[in-house]
Amino acid sequence: MSNSGNDGNAGSNGGNGGGNGGNGEPIIRLRDLAKSYYRGSLEIPVLTGIDLDIPRGGYYALMGPSGSGKTTLLNLLAGIDRPTGGELEVCGYRLNDFDDNELASWRATNVGFIFQNYNLIPVLNAYENIELPLLLTELSRAQRRERVLEALQLVNLTEQMQHFPRQLSGGQEQRVAIARAIVHDPDLIVADEPTGALDAKNAEEALNLIQHLNEELGKTIVMVTHDPKAARHAHIQIHLEKGVLDRTVEVHELPPREPLLGGRVPH
Amino acid sequence: MKYASLVFRSLFRHRLRTLLTLSFLALSVFLVALMQGFLGTLDALTTSSASGSRLVVQDKASFTNVIPESYGNFLRAQPEIEAVTQFQWFGGEYKDPKNFFANFAVQKDTYLQVYREEAGVDLLPPEGVRDFLQDGNGCIVGKSLADKYGWKVGDVVPLRSPIFNLSVRLNVRAIFQGKRQSDEQALVFGLKQIQEAVPWMKGRVGSFVVRVKSSQDIPKLCERIDRNFANASPETLSMSENAFNLNMMKMFGDFGTMLHSITSAVLVAILLVTASTMAMTIRERSTQIAVLRALGFTAGKVMGLLLAEGLLLALMGGLLGLGLAVLAAKVTAGLASAILPWMADFYIPPDTLLLCLVGTLAMGLLSTFVPAYQATRKPIVEALRAL
Ligand SMILES: Nc1ncnc2c1ncn2[C@@H]1O[C@H](COP(=O)(O)OP(=O)(O)OP(=O)(O)O)[C@@H](O)[C@H]1O
Ligand SMILES: [Mg+2]
Repeated sequence: MSNSGNDGNAGSNGGNGGGNGGNGEPIIRLRDLAKSYYRGSLEIPVLTGIDLDIPRGGYYALMGPSGSGKTTLLNLLAGIDRPTGGELEVCGYRLNDFDDNELASWRATNVGFIFQNYNLIPVLNAYENIELPLLLTELSRAQRRERVLEALQLVNLTEQMQHFPRQLSGGQEQRVAIARAIVHDPDLIVADEPTGALDAKNAEEALNLIQHLNEELGKTIVMVTHDPKAARHAHIQIHLEKGVLDRTVEVHELPPREPLLGGRVPH
Repeated sequence: MKYASLVFRSLFRHRLRTLLTLSFLALSVFLVALMQGFLGTLDALTTSSASGSRLVVQDKASFTNVIPESYGNFLRAQPEIEAVTQFQWFGGEYKDPKNFFANFAVQKDTYLQVYREEAGVDLLPPEGVRDFLQDGNGCIVGKSLADKYGWKVGDVVPLRSPIFNLSVRLNVRAIFQGKRQSDEQALVFGLKQIQEAVPWMKGRVGSFVVRVKSSQDIPKLCERIDRNFANASPETLSMSENAFNLNMMKMFGDFGTMLHSITSAVLVAILLVTASTMAMTIRERSTQIAVLRALGFTAGKVMGLLLAEGLLLALMGGLLGLGLAVLAAKVTAGLASAILPWMADFYIPPDTLLLCLVGTLAMGLLSTFVPAYQATRKPIVEALRAL
């Protein structure tokens, strides 16, 4: 394996390990987390016994084969799904205790979403799409405008702010989505295969932006990805296998010639 | 309202579909408002207070038959009676058969007593009344009818009646103003003229109209009159003028029941069509709805946005339909009053308009509620997965 620092421990608390993992209290704390679906009385376990701490400011890549439960885990962290067992604590709140409305308002302040399919609202232009999370705040119109313009500048789409999603390229759409994820200044940003629908160049651009959110703005990022190249942007790679944490890999600064060797991450 | 443009643009996402639904809504509301307005007009016609104190005595076999003038003696002898007048529909055409309006022959002096409200007797100039009563060819004309043909006092109006095969030349002696538009759609002249010119009309009248002192006396009076002539030939049929008007309406069929059932059918159709449109637009957007909820919009908030869309659709369709109905009522009143004088009163009362609007909005809400409820209860992750 070309990557050093593969500690290979199934189910270890990855966040406590690396120097790249951030500091202080974990922003995400999972204990024996489980999620099952039920078909009639038949239990279909999707996630079992997940123990994981992710430190504030960490950049984690969630990897694993299709159907291993990556999206399911991400949805639980983001508070749009509910666990069937275990403890789920994110951004200082025990999400197990929340009802639907409490979860919604928790998401509105704490989480930014980036989807594989961008999921912009087609009848709203770039500006209005980015403004959406701010509509749930107390901010005045002028204050919202200031923030939206800032976010537009961050993703370098100020000129396209009047464009509707269908008038934007895929890469631009994803950048609008990234702006929407950051505009309300959440602590946690979750991304489910954010580069899955993009070509190499646009993928790189999106990944650089996400990295910027992490490094410059201090956002905690949890990103599901199949792409080893994308995963190398993260500090830590978590591998899921059939619903359990398989191993955690710490990504180190790569020596200059490392990419020539392929830089492949096993999964 | 910071969500206004989101609601509006979501509604018009599929412009053609929304416009079609809107047109359907508008058309339905238009129909309902017109029908309800029409029913209201009929209702006013058969329940007016002046006509409530009158009764009509006619031939039992058919109201088109004539009855002896002498029957009036018995009527006048009844203590409950205030005045009795004679009445005969003339059906005269003015210059051209297309110029159709209500014109009838009466016993002049008693007519002004029996129909004093309709003829606006208080407002008539005394010399006009005098001339009308003295001139054998005198007539009085309702103001709106006079305005329509540009008649003034002193003008001569030639009328030709195919019923009597008779032409008359009438002098306009006064122009009267009634309480309602429909009252002014008539020309009234003396029955003597017809009785003198048409042999079979000698000593005969089409019907008597009787004004009673108290409307409570009408039923027993009708009964007494008809009993009195039970063995005479012809027999009589007496009824309140309201009942008479209602009977006239019934010649066209049972409007009330028919229009009410059409109204209900249209309301159900509105509900179904808006429900299917809203269900379709909401189902198409299940991912978007899930995205909004992921961003932190509560189910209630999303529900509110969707209901606002349904409400907006109903509001636009409703206002459009009602606007058209008000216009159509105006035009119809103008056109139809030539044939049916009471149609001059045809309008859609404000409370009917309000009721129609509230009904449409309720339909809009109701039809959006079910799909909106389903969409906002669906687990977010399920809707996001179903791409
Ligand atoms: N509603 C559901 N009912 C039953 N099983 C489900 C349901 N949703 C997901 N699953 C199952 O849960 C498992 C994990 O799904 P998940 O989407 O988390 O996988 P994933 O790792 O994200 O896969 P991929 O890489 O293909 O996106 C899969 O086997 C899936 O079939
Ligand atoms: Mg997935």
